[in-house]
Amino acid sequence: MTSLVPLDLLALSAALLGIGLFGILTRRNFILLLISIEIAMNAAILNFVIFGALSGGPGGVSGSAIAVVLVGLAATEVAVGLAIVLALNRLRGSINVAESATLRL
Amino acid sequence: MILEQVAFASLAAVAVVTALLALLVRELVHTILWIAVFFVDLAAIYFLLSAPFLGVLQLGVYAGAVTILLLFGVMVTRKRIFSREAVTGIGPSSLALAALVVILLVAAATVVPNTEVPVRAYDVTLLSTTLFNQDGSWLLLLGLTMLGALAGAIYLVREGRE
Amino acid sequence: MGDVLSLAAFAPEALVLAGALLILLLDALEVRKLELFAGISLVASFGALLLVVADLGFAPLHLLAGVPASAIDLPPTTSALWGFSSLGLIFQAVFLLATFLVSLGSLSRPSDEKGSAVFFALLLIATVGMLLAAIAADLIFLLLAIEVVGISTYLLVGYTRRDPRGLEAAMKFYIVGALSSALSFFGASLLFGAYGSTNLTVLSQATGTVGYPALALIGYALLIAGVGFKVTAVPFHAWAVDVYDGAPDDVTAFLAGGSKKVGVFAFFLVFIGPLTILDRPCASAACATPFHFAPTLQLALALLSLLTMTVGNVLALLQREMKRMLAYSSISQAGYMLLGIAIGTSPALAGATFQVFAHVFMKLGAFLVVAAVAGLGIGPLIEDWRGLGLRRPWLGVAFALMLLSLAGVPLTVGFVSKFVLFSAAVQAQGLFVWLAVAGLLNSALSVFYYARVLRVLYMESPDDAPAPTPPSSNGLPLGGLGYGRAAAIGLCAVAIVAIGVYPQPVLSAIQSAASHFALTGA
Repeated sequence: MTSLVPLDLLALSAALLGIGLFGILTRRNFILLLISIEIAMNAAILNFVIFGALSGGPGGVSGSAIAVVLVGLAATEVAVGLAIVLALNRLRGSINVAESATLRL
Repeated sequence: MILEQVAFASLAAVAVVTALLALLVRELVHTILWIAVFFVDLAAIYFLLSAPFLGVLQLGVYAGAVTILLLFGVMVTRKRIFSREAVTGIGPSSLALAALVVILLVAAATVVPNTEVPVRAYDVTLLSTTLFNQDGSWLLLLGLTMLGALAGAIYLVREGRE
Repeated sequence: MGDVLSLAAFAPEALVLAGALLILLLDALEVRKLELFAGISLVASFGALLLVVADLGFAPLHLLAGVPASAIDLPPTTSALWGFSSLGLIFQAVFLLATFLVSLGSLSRPSDEKGSAVFFALLLIATVGMLLAAIAADLIFLLLAIEVVGISTYLLVGYTRRDPRGLEAAMKFYIVGALSSALSFFGASLLFGAYGSTNLTVLSQATGTVGYPALALIGYALLIAGVGFKVTAVPFHAWAVDVYDGAPDDVTAFLAGGSKKVGVFAFFLVFIGPLTILDRPCASAACATPFHFAPTLQLALALLSLLTMTVGNVLALLQREMKRMLAYSSISQAGYMLLGIAIGTSPALAGATFQVFAHVFMKLGAFLVVAAVAGLGIGPLIEDWRGLGLRRPWLGVAFALMLLSLAGVPLTVGFVSKFVLFSAAVQAQGLFVWLAVAGLLNSALSVFYYARVLRVLYMESPDDAPAPTPPSSNGLPLGGLGYGRAAAIGLCAVAIVAIGVYPQPVLSAIQSAASHFALTGA
């Protein structure tokens, strides 16, 4: 049986959320934005796994169950984002958010 | 046990470093490579946390499907595959905001006991019954999301005949 | 719970989903006819609306009721993922009303429009998500239902795939939406970690008593940010105006009048428990000494509401384009809705819910007018609308009514909602009296920009009249308006006055639902 320090685990997920946020705020290429969001989403999934593993029992399993659902959700989101980007790329030939005329983040 | 903590610490360090590298390197293809390493590394962490099912799922969905999707996106949207991303400034304000969130989170997390806690493994059958109890509502909602995504995304990328 | 409720309880959701699937099937069979898809959408949303109204206990329709009255407003359980509350049913009715009106208005688009099938299919799928969010009793269920709405609406914004403005708006909407869902789920994971469950009842009853309150507080803060993006609350509002501006007009009407309200209900569901925990009888010994973060949350929500209404109003004053002005005014209206949950008493919830209800007619109607006017070939600037009220008296009167209602002029539905809301704020005493004053000042401020539009609408400037009426060349009946849009706009205008003059039936239903909701909490 493994044993770990909860604080270390939570520090990792917090750091990942921070990196994701930092990427979303500074990057302008859509693919990089997508990756930043995935890092933040992975932090949330990791958190559910951590809390599930720490508490154990039926409540703990539901943490893993939520994580399973979220993995599927995040993959769906990536697919949708790429669909939007491909459609836009076909029209304009660039996917930098900063280049959009009217829209600024 | 000290061995596991060392293992976790090194995996965590790899996760943070690869996530940062993915966002900071200038070649988009290198970004995809680093993010693939990041996904595999997280899968290893799930195995360490006694959640092997999620580890496998992470390998299949993230390290496999999502990485390929992202690579595909880079290839289609860039003429030359090794094109560079124009470096954008690392604004001090965004850095500060991100740092603030991390500090707040870690500060809040200090309330949890700072001692070793056993990580309990569970039966995968239990996981599946949990997923499908209450008529599998979560999965139904996920399916609904995918239905909407499918309907719209196919339409968006399909070459119009106009 | 499974034996109390049969599948008939989910008839509205099933009906709307069946409509979406039927449209996708017809599309696969190469049927391309907008009227047919719009008809399916109208039948599905109106049928579901009747079912929901029947569930609410409307006597003439009692045969249609699928949810037995005994299953509504049950004492909350700690394991259920979903449950029916009368306030949730009222929100369902509001969502279906929005879908119905948008479908009706969309009838005026060209019959052979590319992508009409995907438009109506996504509209209905988003509606299913909204309906499910309204019956959530579990945080993850709620967030996933919001995600259904989110994914469908990102694609809906970009459904005119040949229009770069729409696609850019979709891209921006997508980034912000995906970020907000990541934040929400991270917040939910902290709450799960703090209390070991994601059931909303468990979360609200545990608030400050067991587990790790500090983690929970951060979790709630992240949820405020995540859901705040969805309702365009102010520090998280920057995307809204560009998206509303860039999206196709009918989609904007749905975003502002329909899907945004899901976030409002999510705020109700998530925060009513934590906020009212101090007022509720203490069940266990543990809550005798709670870690009081309810006041902190309440202050945060009150600030959010204050900022949202003020900033939205001030920026609306500065706009020169009609659609952007309406988008900012939509942000400020969200502030009034958030005021309801910040106060957290039953009359305040009733006021906010009535505001949500009224907002469908006012804002959705106004964006439909924008769509109609754009169809007439009139430009996007407010100046371009000069003299429209004189040339198109009916359209002018309808739009004027919507603006007056948004400003809160008596005898309109907007006045009733603000009256209920602000009097609830005054009743709640303390800090909230000042919020009521701020809200009143904001309403006065908003009169300025609505009055400016009214003046333009009815001002015929003789000297430099640019003769902006190209003969309506789009070939639609009613002078280029089309029957569908005319009917939808007319319905909104009539409802604004009718319910404004005689609000009692709707208001009393909402008040009783809100009192149940405040009592059971989630």
